[in-house]
Amino acid sequence: MSNERNAPAEIEAVRKGFETRGYICNAHIATSIFLAERLQKPLLVEGPPGVGKTELAKATAELLGKPLIRLQCYEGLDEAKALYEWKYGKQLLYTQVLKEKLGDLMAGAKGLKESMTRLHDFDDTFFSEEFLEPRPLLKALWQPGGAVLLIDEIDKSDDEFEAFLLELLSDYQISVPELGTIKARTTPIVFLTSNNTREIGDALKRRCLHLYIPFPDTDLEQRIIRSRVPEVEEELRRQLVAFVQGLRTLDLKKLPAVSETIDWARTLVLLHARELDADLVRNTLNVLLKFQDDIDNVDGEINALVTKAVQAR
Amino acid sequence: MTEVLGDFIRALRSADVRVSTSESIDAGRVVGLVGLDDRMTLRDALAQVLAKSEDEKAAFEETFDAFFAFDQFKSRPPAANDDRADAAETAEAEGGEGEDGSPQQSGSPSAPGSGGMGGEPGEGGEPSPAADLAALLERGDQAELQMALAEGARQAQLNRIRLFTQRGMFTRRIMELMGLDGLNEEIERRERDGNVAGAERLAEAREGLRGQVRDYVEKQLEIFTANSGRQLREEVLAQVRLSNIDRSDMRIMRELVRKMAKRLIALHSRRKKVSRRGVLDVRRTIRANIEFDGLMFHTVWKRTKIDRPKVMAVCDVSGSVAQVARFLLMFLYSLQEVLPGVRSFAFSGRLGETTSLFEREKLEEALVEVLREHGGGSTDYGQSFMDFEEIALDDIDHRTTVLILGDARSNYGDPRGDILKKIHARARRVVWLNPEPRTMWNSGDSEMRKLQPYCDKAVTCASLKDLERVVSELLRSAV
Repeated sequence: MSNERNAPAEIEAVRKGFETRGYICNAHIATSIFLAERLQKPLLVEGPPGVGKTELAKATAELLGKPLIRLQCYEGLDEAKALYEWKYGKQLLYTQVLKEKLGDLMAGAKGLKESMTRLHDFDDTFFSEEFLEPRPLLKALWQPGGAVLLIDEIDKSDDEFEAFLLELLSDYQISVPELGTIKARTTPIVFLTSNNTREIGDALKRRCLHLYIPFPDTDLEQRIIRSRVPEVEEELRRQLVAFVQGLRTLDLKKLPAVSETIDWARTLVLLHARELDADLVRNTLNVLLKFQDDIDNVDGEINALVTKAVQAR
Repeated sequence: MTEVLGDFIRALRSADVRVSTSESIDAGRVVGLVGLDDRMTLRDALAQVLAKSEDEKAAFEETFDAFFAFDQFKSRPPAANDDRADAAETAEAEGGEGEDGSPQQSGSPSAPGSGGMGGEPGEGGEPSPAADLAALLERGDQAELQMALAEGARQAQLNRIRLFTQRGMFTRRIMELMGLDGLNEEIERRERDGNVAGAERLAEAREGLRGQVRDYVEKQLEIFTANSGRQLREEVLAQVRLSNIDRSDMRIMRELVRKMAKRLIALHSRRKKVSRRGVLDVRRTIRANIEFDGLMFHTVWKRTKIDRPKVMAVCDVSGSVAQVARFLLMFLYSLQEVLPGVRSFAFSGRLGETTSLFEREKLEEALVEVLREHGGGSTDYGQSFMDFEEIALDDIDHRTTVLILGDARSNYGDPRGDILKKIHARARRVVWLNPEPRTMWNSGDSEMRKLQPYCDKAVTCASLKDLERVVSELLRSAV
């Protein structure tokens, strides 16, 4: 019962902890971190690119003082690259040594049968942990004291890989055919991120908590800019955030994300801007928009948007 | 709480949020973890275990707000103080009740409002809510009333409510379970005792409560049935013949078509990827391992070339199939949206390609445009096949599926089966979708008999379900 009473306070503590580390978020995000830790469940984070999904994992690792182990997904990613690989070179060396030692080893052995029995004793060492090269997933399971595992852009991987992850996500263990099952020493905190380029399978979703991070509202975005680009003066900050928010209401190929707002704020600081004007915006618009089509489309709206941003309260 | 949660999850399911059993268990753990005191925290936390896509999040929020709207009692003025003062007054006036009134105020744990209303509270240890109702109303404790109402609703199995005609019945049953009889008795007793003011006050409170219960029932009805109506409609729409669909249903239909096209593509693309890695390429493996004295450390696999199926869809938009054509075109449009390599053609008298039009225009405009340009005229399959031959025959190869949507009614003109034969020879398969039932084929000017031999498959396709089946088969074998 004491848990119950403390939950909101603990969530608030998480939020504060993030804030001191420069990751500004709302209670919703903090709640998900709290739940992921308490329920020991992976957290699937979705949202448009650039809203801080990967940052969230980094901030969590920092907050908990655990190492961040990151696995970037891409098409064609397989177990060998994600989980483990055999150290072929070492195994090869081992066979060479074995070849030389074979004479000594077999000395005194009578007949083929006895030699084989002796040899059999060495098979196990060949495929043992010594020769195992851990890749991110295995590293995360082996990390003493636990880790924060970030499986980034899971939507870029293939369906088979997604299915392969299911065992890891539900039981924090992994099966290596030659060795058997490897269990996590300390349960890691797992983040999965997705930009929704393809639908994530239901089985995966069922095993995860699901957090959707949308673009931040004006207030939150201002706080983020204040924390990340403190040099920017208040008036300018208010205007630039209002401008970006206005931009997001337009029909664009790629809407500017928080990371772009931050970049833009830095750019404006470099240019010693004190307030927005149409020319300034026009010259720096490529920081916010990454498609020429978008830049061309916005061009006609700049004056109106700037006026609105300057007047906004 | 578990029952409330269970009800909530059922409400979510009826709002199209898919909740699995394991997720319900997680939800239970979440509630245990964060508690019920902080509404926003509870909402944030539950959203993360129960709603797992953007759409579901939106549905979740709506349902949560509707379901946990515990404010129907708050709208009442806080009459608690008045009531208590009144109660004390009455207590003074009537010596008999004085004893009952005082423990109430001192908060004695024995029983809330013990017997103040002449009922038999808790006799034999069994809590009987019946006797408490009058006391509850007198005290005006909103939280307690809320609890009593929720409990009554649970016992009455309000979550089974499905029809608005059940409202009265449920309202009555909940009132009874909350202790209406005891309340009525108490009112009568007061009248008998000459305490007219007290009786009136209670009667008034009773009517107020009735209103609140009715509101509550109505709200629950809304929660549990809001979306099932739409679901039902969707189901019906999927079955109904394409030509009979009302214009007003176009929007839902369009959403359905899109959903289906998307689902089919998802299925299809999964299959495509399975065949990505092939068998061991022995030659290249040996070559790659020469440096290791032929020990095979690097394995090289044969890659299966991903065979992108090409689909060419030819759609009859003449007057006789105009109504169906809209939907077929709609489907074609959605298909082209999600699957690359679909080319579409439309014809009545002459045939033209519509691929780029579909790419360029939004659905509504594209449909109008196609129908304006190609629709309406009298059908001429012969001419249209000739046009098709000219435009597209060269691009048809063994990977192409040709989809023909039409009724094969060619106004007694030669349908040019020979061209279809040519197409059939080059294409992987030719599928004919005919909106007419099979018994109508070959009647009148229908030329199915002449054309069918050159189709790998000729089927009736009159409803969305038919279409789904056919296309699903098509995609399965197209890979």
